[in-house]
Amino acid sequence: MQTFLQIIANGLMLGGLFAIVAVGLTLIFGIVKVVNFAHGEFLMVGMYLTYLLTSGLGVHPYATAVAVIPILFVLGAVTQRLLIQPLMHARDEHIQIFATVGLSTALINLALLIFGADIANTPNYGVRSQIQIGSVRILEGQLWIFLAAILLVIGLQLFLARTNTGRAIRATAQNRAAARLMGINDRFIYVLTFGIGAACVGFGSALIAPLYPTSPTIGTYFVLIAFVIVVLGGLGSIPGAFFGALIIGLVDALSGFYIGSDLREAVVFGIFLVILILKPSGLFGTRVSQAHVSP
Amino acid sequence: MTDTTLNSAAPTRIGRHRLGLIALALVLAALFAIPVAIGDEFVYHIFITICIFAALSTAWNIVGGYAGQLSLGHAIFYGIGAYAGVILVNMGISPWIGMFAGATVAVVAAVVVSYPCFRLHGPFFALATIAFLEVFRVLALHFRELTGGATGLMIPLKIGWEWMVFRERLPALIIAFGMLLVCLGVAWAIRSRRLGFHLVATRERESAARAAGVDTVKVRLIAVAVSAALSAMVGTFHAMYLTFIEPASMFSLQLSIQIAMFALIGGIGTVWGPLLGAVLLVPITEFARGALGAEAIGLHGFVYGVVLMLVVLFMPNGIMGVLARFASGRKEAAGDEPDTHIAAVTRSDAAPRIGDPVLRVEGLQKHFGGLHVTNDVSFTLREGEILGLIGPNGAGKTTVFNMLSGFLKPDRGSVTLLGTDGAWHEPGNPGDFAALGVGRTFQIVQPFAAMTVEENIMVGAFHRYHTVSDAREAARETAHRMGLGRYLHDEANSLTVGGLKRLEVARVMAMKPRILLLDEVMAGINRTDVKRAVDLMLSIRETGVSIIAIEHVMQAVMALSDWVIVLSSGEIIAQGNPQEVVRDPHVIEAYLGKEFAGA
Repeated sequence: MQTFLQIIANGLMLGGLFAIVAVGLTLIFGIVKVVNFAHGEFLMVGMYLTYLLTSGLGVHPYATAVAVIPILFVLGAVTQRLLIQPLMHARDEHIQIFATVGLSTALINLALLIFGADIANTPNYGVRSQIQIGSVRILEGQLWIFLAAILLVIGLQLFLARTNTGRAIRATAQNRAAARLMGINDRFIYVLTFGIGAACVGFGSALIAPLYPTSPTIGTYFVLIAFVIVVLGGLGSIPGAFFGALIIGLVDALSGFYIGSDLREAVVFGIFLVILILKPSGLFGTRVSQAHVSP
Repeated sequence: MTDTTLNSAAPTRIGRHRLGLIALALVLAALFAIPVAIGDEFVYHIFITICIFAALSTAWNIVGGYAGQLSLGHAIFYGIGAYAGVILVNMGISPWIGMFAGATVAVVAAVVVSYPCFRLHGPFFALATIAFLEVFRVLALHFRELTGGATGLMIPLKIGWEWMVFRERLPALIIAFGMLLVCLGVAWAIRSRRLGFHLVATRERESAARAAGVDTVKVRLIAVAVSAALSAMVGTFHAMYLTFIEPASMFSLQLSIQIAMFALIGGIGTVWGPLLGAVLLVPITEFARGALGAEAIGLHGFVYGVVLMLVVLFMPNGIMGVLARFASGRKEAAGDEPDTHIAAVTRSDAAPRIGDPVLRVEGLQKHFGGLHVTNDVSFTLREGEILGLIGPNGAGKTTVFNMLSGFLKPDRGSVTLLGTDGAWHEPGNPGDFAALGVGRTFQIVQPFAAMTVEENIMVGAFHRYHTVSDAREAARETAHRMGLGRYLHDEANSLTVGGLKRLEVARVMAMKPRILLLDEVMAGINRTDVKRAVDLMLSIRETGVSIIAIEHVMQAVMALSDWVIVLSSGEIIAQGNPQEVVRDPHVIEAYLGKEFAGA
């Protein structure tokens, strides 16, 4: 029982971590309708920034968020404006996928050129210390990530639901042409959304860097898991991404213990495939019937 | 080529074609001759690697390019081939046999993996292939007894042709080059045959392809199976060449992306593009690895990524696209055909002979959620009859068409057709309907955008003909009849709305259907053409074809129809001969509102 509770706690903490990465991705995927394969590399860039700022200036890694979030916002906005926007009308959606794959490849290898293949450990300022809650032990940093993920989800949800900009974003996602007719500048909305999506991951990277060693390929693992979560939670659904992340975190922790740690990923991706094939709208997504439209 | 003198511009096209073939032969010859001439180990290695990647990329292109299924998991098949080869070699079986064993396993894996994924489109298909790749990698790591796990597998040092392992480099180059030729040959053969047309048509417009009788699932599965088999065979050889394999480098996402990238940069969906992409890019990697060594780690990947972004931004059709634009700089002089209109048809004035029923529709019901779109629709179509289906927007006309061509299954009721065998059939999907001789057009035109007008019509003609030359001939004949003769070699996209409507009809006419379903083919074309189209339809009917036409152009409906059915809110509210129906108060009410009913 003790072990089981500990596994559940680990799973939830992992889920919080996944959530903070996946929220930005679902925003971009659901609203700009672009599969951003470079999302993991945004995380990687953010973590290196945190690493550099923390070890260079000697500030607490969490404090670097003040700089990392705006930088990542700009990175995301520039990506949309210069790379994705010219391709929005491409006849073939593969083109956009290749564009983000190209960006991802370029960023990974740029990091390799600059930092080499060695891992970079961000000073952790005590966030790796264990705390005891009841009978389970977790890292202090994990708890902060979990709480931050909840805050981020609520904040984004309020932003999308209550502000005019948020409404404009949702309108653009639902029907771009109609949104344009209502005077919404769709291009600006896309740039903004991409920026916010990247900024979310920037927020995450300041929290994640002190717990995980940074390496050029750290993003690849996270982005694949994040895609699993985004599809599981339903495209563009922020609460969906949060709960999807918790589910995947739990599945990862439980299968790691009960099935074998080397088969964890096979279980996660197996679930992903089942969801993708049987219920592509995800667990929390709504299905829009298009059957009455000409096939 | 079966280009005949039909087209005065044909000689220049053939000339360019020949030029292209010469250039291609030179590239291939250079791939083999340069390393042999230089004789340097490292140069040999680079050219062997080029051949391997070009072969993999060419194989990928059959799925990713022709079929348009963006696979980012192709390393699955390459890895299966590699592992099958190495495992069997360790058991004392030659890789020449292992190669085919690997290919067989890969084909099975490909069919099992792809079949459920075909319903996924665009990015979801790509994500699913990545997920499968991850699963394969994890499983390869897990089953250590078979695969050696993370430590990998070595091949025993047995040298000779039998084992594909050599002291010198030349034999390896010969094998790699041979594999490249095989892959290019297969890719070329597919592209220039019926299967290639079917694949491209499926990629461009799946539903239009299905309406033209293409079994879209089957052709894709064939493409995936062929592609997987070729990839696996290359994988077996590459494993022998590398002498060591491990899951991380065999089932690698990076490798899958590279394979796809070469095709994209060279020209996705073209036969020779992947070769060009690999020829240009592989040397960069190998130079960066071999010559610059550790200090430049990441440099080649960085260059790859940047090149990829630049290519998608500035030359999305790849090198082949640029070459094609360069080659066709001078637009072909028009003027082989004066006609831009539908050829006038002389028709006999003999009264139409309407025969026995060929299509029975009984009690069709269809709901979309709470919306009752089709309510108890029943009618019969007789041989040689033209049936006009009219009704206000939203009446459910197109839904009825979708059920008459297999795109929608009715909730209740049945559609039965008289086959050429004299028996009644109840077909279930668009393919069965097409096989029984039902051809349809789409209200929103569905041209195969990446194909020329001629190729578009050929897709329809392939319903009857198996060889390209027969289909081409039939397509040309149909095109001339439909007034599309002068546009034969233009891209379908360049046609006007009226032209696209005619193309839509031409494609279905090339199928020689027995029952023709026309969905608003006259909307948006000019008056003269409407008149010609009416004549054309009457002449089609005289050959015994039965027609159901959804039409808003009343002048045409009146002139054409033997019988008119009026749908409103999913129900038949009136039917009869055209003169009766237009005077029916229910019909006037449905179209114009209650206050006009008495007028």
